[in-house]
Amino acid sequence: MPDFLDEIEACVPALRRYARALTRDAERADDLVQDCLERAIRKRGLWRPTGPLRAWLFRILLNTYRNDLRRDRRAPLSLPIDALSGEPPSPAGQPGRLALADTARALDKLTDEQREALLLVAIEGLSYAEAANALGIPLGTLMSRIARARETLRDLLDAPPRLRTVK
Amino acid sequence: MTKTQPDISRDTLHAYVDGQLSAETRAAVERHLDDHPADAALVAAWQRDGDALRALYDPVAGETVPASLSPHRIARQRRVRLTEWRRLAAAGLVLTLLGSAAGWYGRGLAGGRQVATASLLDRAVAAHNLYVGEVVHPVEVAAAQDAHLARWLSKRLDRTIVIPDLRPTGFALVGGRLLPDGPGPAAQFMYEDTQGRRVTLYVKPTTEGGKSSFRFAEAGPVAALFWRDARISCALVGELQRSELQAIATSAYEQLG
Repeated sequence: MPDFLDEIEACVPALRRYARALTRDAERADDLVQDCLERAIRKRGLWRPTGPLRAWLFRILLNTYRNDLRRDRRAPLSLPIDALSGEPPSPAGQPGRLALADTARALDKLTDEQREALLLVAIEGLSYAEAANALGIPLGTLMSRIARARETLRDLLDAPPRLRTVK
Repeated sequence: MTKTQPDISRDTLHAYVDGQLSAETRAAVERHLDDHPADAALVAAWQRDGDALRALYDPVAGETVPASLSPHRIARQRRVRLTEWRRLAAAGLVLTLLGSAAGWYGRGLAGGRQVATASLLDRAVAAHNLYVGEVVHPVEVAAAQDAHLARWLSKRLDRTIVIPDLRPTGFALVGGRLLPDGPGPAAQFMYEDTQGRRVTLYVKPTTEGGKSSFRFAEAGPVAALFWRDARISCALVGELQRSELQAIATSAYEQLG
């Protein structure tokens, strides 16, 4: 089924990007994508060729991620070290770099549910319907999660700078 | 929404930022933002946050994808694994029929009948190895009480079990015991010849699979002959040559009915 594999291949960069944003850990993100691809290839019989492949892949990725989270909660806590590994190369000292670092830190403070929803729409550009489908939640739930995520993010970034620079 | 729509909900503002609105609603939101600077500032801030998120993670999509994440490669590796699996399964099955120890590894890979045979063999051989070296308590019920042993085990196995008399082949009954065989019971009879060599006959009710002719297998020094009819499944296990084991098994088979 080469067509199917080609179509999956076209989605891999986006899956990696989303996984990286979710986990903030390059290695863990690629492990997640690999698990997702293996599951997708194993389950390809369950995919209806008429449905959106991208949303289906995101759903598999999210299920894998949540299973990992459940397992991790039972395992000793290990925090990702390279939280900013996704940061684009830019000369040090530019204000843009600091702002991005703040955004990345604020993203870490969202709940898993809020982060999953916001990133699907804001970074991956999924429609609300596709994102709701990928997350397995009703459209209204998706919209309220995105609203809460975006407003929380804004509040965190609006907070007085001293709160963010306290060591 | 009408063109005089004064109320733009918060949800609509979010949907505007996410590009989820129709052209008509989008135009209405833009008119609203023109008249409401506070909302406009909020939307602009949300848009900047979105830009920051994309600036953080978009570069990942431009990275070279590691070879381990190629769907073609993953599918190919999967095919290789499946092929090896099938080859192993086929080889395991064939070798079992040829009577090679390698056939034992075929258990679990082939159909239910082979699985049943393999587990019968595993358990018969395990029980043999456990009790054959036992000097003090090789059996639960000794040969002296053979009538009692036959009644007891017939009852527990829910099958009439006639304890074969193998003395014509040089092996005399030592006794027998009841064993667990998965969820059900099994019986083991032990025989010994004048040189002290022991063979065990493992008998369990047939729960699956049909009649089977004699089959031979060996694992290390231990050899086993097994057969099955609609009523009982049997394995004769011992450290004997195949021909000798075959002669004993034939005798046992005839008496077990």
